[in-house]
Amino acid sequence: PAALPLAPLGFTDVNLNSRNTYEVSRRRSAPEHLPHGGTAPAEPAPPPQEPAERARHRVGIAGAGSSFAEFFTRNFFTKRTKELKPAVQSAPGWKLFGKVPPRENLPKDSKIIQQEYEARTGRMYKPPPPSARRKNIEFEPLSTTALILEDRPANLPAKSVEEALRHRQEYDEMVAEAKKREIKEAHKRKKIMRERFKQEENIASAMVIWVNEILPNWEGMRATRRVRELWWQGLPPSVRGKVWSLAVGNELNITPELYEIFLSRAKERWKSFSETNSENDIEDAGASVADREASLELIKLDISRTFPSLYIFQKGGPYHDLLHSVLGAYTCYRPDVGYVQGMSFIAAVLILNLEEADAFIAFANLLNKPCQLAFFRVDHSMMLKYFAAFEVFFEENLPKLFLHFKSYSLTPDIYLIDWIFTLYSKSLPLDLACRVWDVFCRDGEEFLFRTGLGILRLYEDILLQMDFIHIAQFLTKLPEDITSEKLFSCIAAIQMQNSNKKWAQVFASLMKDNKEGDKNHSPAPKT
Amino acid sequence: RSFSFKVVLLGEGCVGKTSLVLRYCENKFNDKHITTLQASFLTKKLNIGGKRVNLAIWDTAGQERFHALGPIYYRDSNGAILVYDITDEDSFQKVKNWVKELRKMLGNEICLCIVGNKIDLEKERHVSVQEAEMYAESVGAKHYHTSAKQNKGIEELFLDLCKRMIETAQVDERARGNGSSQSGIARRGVQIIDDEPQVQSSGGCCSSG
Repeated sequence: PAALPLAPLGFTDVNLNSRNTYEVSRRRSAPEHLPHGGTAPAEPAPPPQEPAERARHRVGIAGAGSSFAEFFTRNFFTKRTKELKPAVQSAPGWKLFGKVPPRENLPKDSKIIQQEYEARTGRMYKPPPPSARRKNIEFEPLSTTALILEDRPANLPAKSVEEALRHRQEYDEMVAEAKKREIKEAHKRKKIMRERFKQEENIASAMVIWVNEILPNWEGMRATRRVRELWWQGLPPSVRGKVWSLAVGNELNITPELYEIFLSRAKERWKSFSETNSENDIEDAGASVADREASLELIKLDISRTFPSLYIFQKGGPYHDLLHSVLGAYTCYRPDVGYVQGMSFIAAVLILNLEEADAFIAFANLLNKPCQLAFFRVDHSMMLKYFAAFEVFFEENLPKLFLHFKSYSLTPDIYLIDWIFTLYSKSLPLDLACRVWDVFCRDGEEFLFRTGLGILRLYEDILLQMDFIHIAQFLTKLPEDITSEKLFSCIAAIQMQNSNKKWAQVFASLMKDNKEGDKNHSPAPKT
Repeated sequence: RSFSFKVVLLGEGCVGKTSLVLRYCENKFNDKHITTLQASFLTKKLNIGGKRVNLAIWDTAGQERFHALGPIYYRDSNGAILVYDITDEDSFQKVKNWVKELRKMLGNEICLCIVGNKIDLEKERHVSVQEAEMYAESVGAKHYHTSAKQNKGIEELFLDLCKRMIETAQVDERARGNGSSQSGIARRGVQIIDDEPQVQSSGGCCSSG
């Protein structure tokens, strides 16, 4: 069997098909359609008998190439994400970049074209149901094929020979131009697809390694160099929750049963809360109860404000109750911490990756880490120490930007609070945030601050041009097109070493300094 | 000539601070916006009687737990907008707490606005208009009613605040010209060029660090 390289073959296929369909279209627009089909592309509305798609081609070509390109891209990506499988089965030979077995692809002959043609003409008289139409969009020719040079209608005076010749020439140029563009775009798309396939393959092979080798020998392998490197690449989504759970651990020894107990307590409280609410306020309930009730109310409000664009945590969404349960159970489990805004994002990310009870266990243990406790208790003096440690590495890694920030008295609390509270899940695109979580689970709190420095490094040039308010604005609302490759290469370039001291040592020495300096340090005002 | 002012929004969670600023700066209203944790920052340029004004608006988190972080956000503010929800008596009490704290920390130079938001829910009002207005007057603040949802009263609120901040800045400047200024005042009117190092403000927990 001739093992043809898949890439060039697929590409030829595109051209081949487009030309063939082009011929078909030409045939279709031959004499019997002349009375109405032979008009110039600029004609406002197509005659009603014509299939809408054809009309669209003409408008697309005559009007703007971009609209057609958009249309095509949209169609292309829908197919990729949703119809990958059915497309392979249903489209003999007409494949753009899908993995079509070469053998099926090669004998693409006039017979198939004929079938295709018949299928199309058959639809001309009764418009197909919307679903069938959509399917057929896959057979759409590229724009070159839809550009048709028609003779002038018979009721108008004929063109002169020179004019006809010139038009012919212009037409050829346009087609050649469009074809060139299409070839370029096809190349680009194919490259993207190749990268995606490669990525998917990497994930698939990584998944096998995680499932078969690493997870069964977790304790022995988690710290090995090979596993750490694989970990850095990002965890395959199918093992992500499992690895997070293992890495976060369960120091608190929470069991699913314990979760159920706290959940039922939370449910009782919600019930009594709504009852007292209807009876109106009871004054002697005391401030702590009022606070707790406010906290319960706040959970409700915050749930609807957690990843609002996903529409899965909002009321009526599939994970609304789950998120409510996990957060409610936590406030009963840890009344000393209670619900703090920002927690809903952490719980939401865990729920997206773990079963309910496991999500709760990971949530409670995660929030029990020193850094998270300091932030969620809003222990301001501890937070300042974390910021101070961050600034040590900031100055070390990005001295120019550090000075720039200093000149505006722009302190880390302006941008770090959001990042640390939600572990970047509010600030970065969700998939990227999950990758940050992956390595956070591997490296601990230091990685949160390293990520922050990575972000600053990624945008260093832009930030150096900005003043205080624009930096603050930029960092609290990061660009949405931030990619994981770029960010992770910037994070990788951040050295968490300061004159041979690592994060933990720098932080420890700051703690010691501050203890000594506490005597002449006035406490934070409380109101 | 131009002025740059910093305005901070404070108030309990879910009274509509973010909605108010989003309506003002971007003319948007959305029921489903995201929780504010730390401050978020918006800017707006105005022209008031030939004077250019650059506003930097700091929108803050509302949860009581974050109260301790307040000084980070309100230090050096020229104006503060203290928002409550007219259907929620508690949120009005929180405004009173903020007024006390701001007066204590920033003195009388900061222009205070007390804003009863959500007047589209007038039927569910729990805070009396008279009480709110009387309170505002007693603490030297101005009182406003707004609806971010229906876009009522917001332009007026910010315009009025800007005019007051310009006045305060000009008074400051004159006082400064007379040589009787204090560093604490001079620092705030940003249009005045700092000729002394940024002395840490008169209070606030981050001041001594």
